[in-house]
Amino acid sequence: MMKQKIKLGLLFLLIIVCNVQAQRTTALRINEVLVINEDNFVDDYGKRFPWVEIYNSSPGTVNIAGCFLTDDINNPKKYMVPKGDVLTRIRPRQHALFWADNIPTRGTFHLNFELNPKKPNFIALFDSDGTSLIDSVTVPAGQRADISYGLIEDGWNQERLNEALRLNENYKNKYGDQLWIYWEKVTPSSNNKILDTNEKIENFKINDGVGIGMTMTAMGVVFAGLIILYLIFKSIGNIAVSLSHQRVMKASGVTKEQARNITDQSGDVYAAIAIAIYEATELHDEENTILTIKNTARNYSPWNSKIYTLREIPKR
Amino acid sequence: MDFISFLGDNLATFWTYTAFANITLGHVLMILVGLTFIYLAIAKEFEPMLLIPIGFGILIGNIPFKDAGLQLGIYEEGSVLNILYQGVTSGWYPPLIFLGIGAMTDFSALISNPKLMMIGAAAQFGIFGAYVLALAIGFEPNQAGAIGIIGGADGPTAIFLSSKLAPNLMGAIAISAYSYMALVPVIQPPIMRLLTSKKERVIRMKPPRVVSQTEKILFPIFGLLLTCFLVPSGLPLLGMLFFGNLLKESGVTRRLAETARGPLIDTITILLGVTVGASTQATQFLTWDSIKIFGLGALSFIIATTAGILFVKLFNLFLKKDNRINPLIGNSGVSAVPDSARISQVVGLEYDPTNYLLMHAMGPNVAGVIGSAVAAGILLGFLG
Repeated sequence: MMKQKIKLGLLFLLIIVCNVQAQRTTALRINEVLVINEDNFVDDYGKRFPWVEIYNSSPGTVNIAGCFLTDDINNPKKYMVPKGDVLTRIRPRQHALFWADNIPTRGTFHLNFELNPKKPNFIALFDSDGTSLIDSVTVPAGQRADISYGLIEDGWNQERLNEALRLNENYKNKYGDQLWIYWEKVTPSSNNKILDTNEKIENFKINDGVGIGMTMTAMGVVFAGLIILYLIFKSIGNIAVSLSHQRVMKASGVTKEQARNITDQSGDVYAAIAIAIYEATELHDEENTILTIKNTARNYSPWNSKIYTLREIPKR
Repeated sequence: MDFISFLGDNLATFWTYTAFANITLGHVLMILVGLTFIYLAIAKEFEPMLLIPIGFGILIGNIPFKDAGLQLGIYEEGSVLNILYQGVTSGWYPPLIFLGIGAMTDFSALISNPKLMMIGAAAQFGIFGAYVLALAIGFEPNQAGAIGIIGGADGPTAIFLSSKLAPNLMGAIAISAYSYMALVPVIQPPIMRLLTSKKERVIRMKPPRVVSQTEKILFPIFGLLLTCFLVPSGLPLLGMLFFGNLLKESGVTRRLAETARGPLIDTITILLGVTVGASTQATQFLTWDSIKIFGLGALSFIIATTAGILFVKLFNLFLKKDNRINPLIGNSGVSAVPDSARISQVVGLEYDPTNYLLMHAMGPNVAGVIGSAVAAGILLGFLG
């Protein structure tokens, strides 16, 4: 029985660990790609090469080490991101940049393939098992120099874009309805969309400058929350009172009405009853507390017995 | 002679490092504010647990010094005070305070008469009244939201929200919130007397029924699920509040509950108070915005108290005669636990020495804590 429990516990732990791992690496996204780098970002060696930006869309740090980057769907294990490099840990909502220079000897972030500006470039990121596809993109042919091809918002997928289009009518007019777009403002290792203003705040300033909308909505939510809580606890209270009546009826054999009279008493009535019972049963009679040195009437008392005042001889 | 001039130079350099050489009028003003807080706490016993740490913190924060990279000030990265201040700026002190509040709060009064929750909701008008006023005098919506939360009369919530929405105003907002919480005995009674008739002040409320342990255990569980499903952004505060309460009511985690409501909350209160006080360095704090925030803070407390009392009067129109609520407990809808409930009791006793309102006032009082945390969650969700 105990062994079974341990096995179940371990299985549960394994499921959690696997799930957490899977959740973490699946949060990685291919975020931005620059195929023709003429006058753009340079690597640590001062050279310009195409680059691929990976984004960690999760709120926790993700280690990309052990994952695979490839430009060939039939060879998913083409470039394994080396393990043991602290720089492969991508912080929450941060980026890592890989150079497609086909010179992997230059370090962890230099891939063993290049991007070809004359034809479409397929890029894929596979999980550490080499079979689970995390993300992929095909960068169309005919890229222009120093203009990147990137996601409309960091880490977004089609589902997230559809949601934004559904919720905000102006989104399409402002930013379009394509998930991947061309960025003239290239942003290696940084967010694709750089915000000059806080859109939420701007919307409030335009649409609810006085604050009435916010007041009505927020107070509505506060009242709604507490009304629901009230209704739930009103019901729970009714059930509790009803159960209490039943217990009294069962224990005392009284009618429902009598039970109600007994249980509906407030806490202070019970406190008064408890004090009365305590006084009636627990308190001692009033005693004479006068100290005296008079001899007791009895001839013998443990208080004046010499035998009790003598130390006993230890027994062997 | 060289030796004398050497000593003289050193003394002159030393002088430039002293507070006397660096003091400004702003520092003097802030030191006076700190001393006033300490005086109010000791002589008048206004919220001494808060005002002593904050007041002394103000003194610590306003000792002027030469900026020579010695890592002394609270705004210098890596200084001891700065490290302690991280709990405020990162927002993890307030949830720990809420854990302690949950572990020391008895929700029985609220559970036995759940309609009192509505008063806690109504008093949140103080938050949004101040929000509207802050917008009107030119604050940005996120700043207005952070200022409005002063009306929730809940220090940890005010710090938590302002650290997220308007970190640059946090010092003024926190000091304003705690100051007015301490001044609740001064602010609320005149409003209570003004808005109620003699007849209303002597309304006797039904004594609360006895609440079973099962109900007490269910309250934090349902409370968490419901409020956080509705406003997930309130999770850090509400999650810890209800968790602390479950520790108390479960009956099997007494040691944890005692730690949460004892040593833990005391430690965090000390750190929070001192660092919030120290964050009021004159150079950062003495601005027109701070003065405006103080004005708005006072108005938010007045609006919250008024809304609570008027709501009870309105509510009474729909209640049977023997179920009516004494409007003197309307003020306790603003959190400020348990001070505002105590005010209800004190003012109530003035008009009927046998009418004890404390237990009844505790209901809206703790509902106010939940309400202000929910309101903070909404503001964070909308403006964060």
